[in-house]
Amino acid sequence: MFEIFRPRVFFNLANSSLFWLKLLFIISLIISLSFALIFSPIDYLQKDTVRIMYVHVPSSWISLFIFLIIGVSSFISLIFRIKIFSVYAKTLAPIGFVFSLISLVSGSLWGYPTWGTWWSWDARLTSMLVLVLIYFIYICTWNLIKNFNTAEKITNIIAIIGLINLPIIKFSVNWWNTLHQPSSITLSSAPTIHVSILAPLLMMFFTLCIFSLIIFLIRYKYEIINFRINKK
Amino acid sequence: MILNFLNMGGYGFYIWLSYSFALVSLYSLYYFSSKQLKSVKHLEAIYSSSSLEKVVDLNSAQRI
Repeated sequence: MFEIFRPRVFFNLANSSLFWLKLLFIISLIISLSFALIFSPIDYLQKDTVRIMYVHVPSSWISLFIFLIIGVSSFISLIFRIKIFSVYAKTLAPIGFVFSLISLVSGSLWGYPTWGTWWSWDARLTSMLVLVLIYFIYICTWNLIKNFNTAEKITNIIAIIGLINLPIIKFSVNWWNTLHQPSSITLSSAPTIHVSILAPLLMMFFTLCIFSLIIFLIRYKYEIINFRINKK
Repeated sequence: MILNFLNMGGYGFYIWLSYSFALVSLYSLYYFSSKQLKSVKHLEAIYSSSSLEKVVDLNSAQRI
């Protein structure tokens, strides 16, 4: 099972699967965009602005999930000294950063017609902004420090400290009074949104997951080749 | 009908801007990642060809 984590196996997997993943992504994107922009019904309260949710929510989920992987990989790398997990974390960081930025901007564009303001320093929005900043510091650290071992140690610590922010983002809407609504979809209970809205949301989430996987494989190949060149 | 679709009940500006921002950001991520991979592959090819030249040089030197 752990064979897949070996760099060579993963590299070969990236080579063989990229074309099919791209094809699947294009088909999935056409279907999910059609549902998000045309076929899904409007919300009785938020009207058409609910369509922003199909970009905002999957982006937020993916950015949080990617940071969770980065944090766990950094922890494994720091404790067990397995370098490849640092490479996984480094590879994932730009993807998570872009999705967290999309979440923040689309949230702001959704917030103005819904709340009457682009931005509010409430717990959910501020903790999400902190996540964007952590991603930014993490990526800058990798780029600024040329020595791999030093950069690895510092970024591992940044990622592990950054993990504290994840439960704050998740539970901020329950712990504090916020403008942001509580989660409509949780793992512990049935979703509170109608299936006609839930289905396009999950389709878009699937599409963006495929996209993340494509970028991850491209960046992983880049990191491995770059590592080889630097070794020479 | 197309105008109605673009207007999105008066919220077209917010909806299209958020989708455009997402598409541009994701495409940029794809573009720069692919570009980086291409450049590093090119560098690797140069390195491997230069090491090949070294092997050829060594072989010719041995013959001399």
